Amino acid sequence: MSEMSAVARVARVVAAPTLRSVPAPVRAVTHVPFLVMVTATLLVGIVGLLVFNTNMQQASFAATALNAQAESLTAREQTLRLELDRLRDPQRVAAEASALGMVPAPSTGILHLPDGRVEGTPRPATPEDGIRLGPLAPVKPDVLSPAPVRRQVLPPDVPVAETRGDRTDRPGGAEGTAQRGAEEQGRAQGRQNRPPDQQRNRRSR
Amino acid sequence: MGPRTAASRRPPRVGSRRASPAVRLHAGFIVISMLLSVFAVRLIQLQGIDPDEIALRASQDGTVDVSLPASRGDILDRAGEPLAASVEGVMVAADPLVTAPRASELAKFLSPRLGIDYVTTLERLRVEDSRFSYIARRVPATLARDVLAEASDEGFDGLFTRRDPLRTYPGRDVAANLVGFLGTPADDGSAEPLAGLEESFNDHLSGTNGRARYQVGAGNRLPLGDSTVTEARDGADLTTTIDRDLQWYAQRVLRDTIRTSGAESGFAVVMDTPTGEILALADEPTFDASAPLQSSEDLYRSKAMSDVYEPGSVQKVLTAAGLIDAGKVTMRTRLKVPGFLARQDRPIRDYFEHGLLKLTMAGVIAKSSNVGTVLAADRYDEGELRRYLTAFGLGDRTRIGLGGETRGILPDGSGWTSQTGDRIAFGQSLSVNAVQMAAAVNTIANGGVRVDPSLVRGSATLDDGTVVGTDVAERRTVVSENAARQTMLMMERVLDPEEGVAPRAAVEGYRVAGKTGTAQRVGAECGCYDGSTTVSFAGFAPADDPRFTIYVVVQNPRSGGGGSVAGPAFSKMMTFALRRYQVPPTRTEPSSLPVRWR
Repeated sequence: MSEMSAVARVARVVAAPTLRSVPAPVRAVTHVPFLVMVTATLLVGIVGLLVFNTNMQQASFAATALNAQAESLTAREQTLRLELDRLRDPQRVAAEASALGMVPAPSTGILHLPDGRVEGTPRPATPEDGIRLGPLAPVKPDVLSPAPVRRQVLPPDVPVAETRGDRTDRPGGAEGTAQRGAEEQGRAQGRQNRPPDQQRNRRSR
Repeated sequence: MGPRTAASRRPPRVGSRRASPAVRLHAGFIVISMLLSVFAVRLIQLQGIDPDEIALRASQDGTVDVSLPASRGDILDRAGEPLAASVEGVMVAADPLVTAPRASELAKFLSPRLGIDYVTTLERLRVEDSRFSYIARRVPATLARDVLAEASDEGFDGLFTRRDPLRTYPGRDVAANLVGFLGTPADDGSAEPLAGLEESFNDHLSGTNGRARYQVGAGNRLPLGDSTVTEARDGADLTTTIDRDLQWYAQRVLRDTIRTSGAESGFAVVMDTPTGEILALADEPTFDASAPLQSSEDLYRSKAMSDVYEPGSVQKVLTAAGLIDAGKVTMRTRLKVPGFLARQDRPIRDYFEHGLLKLTMAGVIAKSSNVGTVLAADRYDEGELRRYLTAFGLGDRTRIGLGGETRGILPDGSGWTSQTGDRIAFGQSLSVNAVQMAAAVNTIANGGVRVDPSLVRGSATLDDGTVVGTDVAERRTVVSENAARQTMLMMERVLDPEEGVAPRAAVEGYRVAGKTGTAQRVGAECGCYDGSTTVSFAGFAPADDPRFTIYVVVQNPRSGGGGSVAGPAFSKMMTFALRRYQVPPTRTEPSSLPVRWR
């Protein structure tokens, strides 16, 4: 201020202390905690992400391995089921039973459990009740099964009696009994190895 | 040493190893701009020139696009036993470039383990100019896995597998005529059925394939990668009404009958009377569904459904039931039956010679007299017999779900002459298929109510959209309950040891009603009756409360008729069925209707 006298100003200048250097501060402002915090956050973030990602990838490996195991077990289950079906096949069971000498039962009896009464006419099975289990013989081509040689032999004039229980519903036909007997004889001679397609050529009645 | 001054810390200008800052700045500028220009060029290259293709390639790399195959439904019997089942299978293939050097050792290794021919395998392992060659197809997955593991242990390379699902038929020839089989799959992997239910219900049994698109890295699926999955829809199972064990037994008995009588073929139908479900539909000869190529092609269909034949005397029960229902006769009506009838151009005769017989209607049925039946059928009004036969289901398809069914031939309009009409009364001049006829006889067993026969339990949709099955089976009344009962009593006399023609069809301890049939067959060559016969027996038991109807037909036996050939087969099958389902005998007296009158 100009009001201030020059004398005062000079006095101030003269009275101003000589400059001397300020001593170095004992304590500086540290940035270390901040840096540590930031670095730690960074590291935690990165490592955490890495760990998370790694875990997911491992889970994916585990999933692939388990899938493969599931497929393999499914395939094995199916093989076992196939084996079970093969064992339960009625043909196989019947063949084993037949090998033991068993036959289908010819008649049924009903056992009343409360009083032990047997109803119906059960009878023991005999070997005649068995049924054939194997496949039919294959139809042979003509080369392997030639046509049978047939000779018709006329018997003396005796009427052939019809057997009971074997009446055939032959529709129509007015042939005599003698000729029927002759045909039976002729058929008996040519009875071997006649494949089905040969029968179409048979001229009968 | 003096105090270190700032000036002394500064490095000397003269002879410095570093260039001046300006030079370094310029050099750095140049390097950086070179790098940036490389980036700029690359950027322009990637984004400016065809960016889409490059993006596509990037997305495809590491992406897997697979089709998720649907598994085919099983065909099951009524108890859930599989008649046709799908199994995980693989095809074993080789890279001939790799396998050719050690082909003979590898072929020797593979042929016993996979069951393939050594020479064929050897050729396939040595195919020239190829990187892919089939070695074995449709191998069960576990077997293929084990074999390939062993092979790689032995040091064989170049084998790999691909999915090739396998269809097994555990029953082999049991119900093969119904189930059919699959042929070689189509190129897109879908099944190609060639016969039977596999073919008719193909859409029902196949499902819809799904699709999965996901990204992989090192063989494992990336969890965070893109993925879209459309799940596969598996095919539905088809449950049939067939009883596998009864079907097996019916096939074996039929086969035995064909063998002993020297016949050509035969079929049998077993139906559950109240519900019309088909428990067995046996055809002999038939093929092995797991090895169809070993049999000829004409065995692949069910002859019971597709081949027509004239039913013969079994038809008489339908004629008689209609007559009783129309009030024209009763079971005790008396008829005078001559030895032959002169009608039109050919006389009608019976199978046995006789003079004038005094038979009741029951006797006409018991003795299976053609002449008696024609005399009774004369009492029908015009067109009445045809109406009854149509109501019984003749001349119309049964639509049980098998393809290739014939509807039979029932003449109509001008085709029904008086000659045809007379002969149709006793079962000639019309053609049927076996299931039609069995359903017609079942109508009489079921108290006059016809139930549609069905092969599928529940319901299922055919490929053409029709719904079939027990759920949609219709019922309709054809004859009255009284008419059915009277017919049943007449049919019981057929099995009478003295008066009937089929005592060998009886089942011990049960009342059985049935009818024999021996019909002339039309030969293929001459188109006329060639002397061969179709013998049959249709019946149901227990007669007064029927549970099963069984119809057995044998084509062209060398000797014997319905009573002697088909009767014993019927008896065996009926005994088995009654015992299997634990049907108790009805403890009532069998019918004793008079067959003759004075």
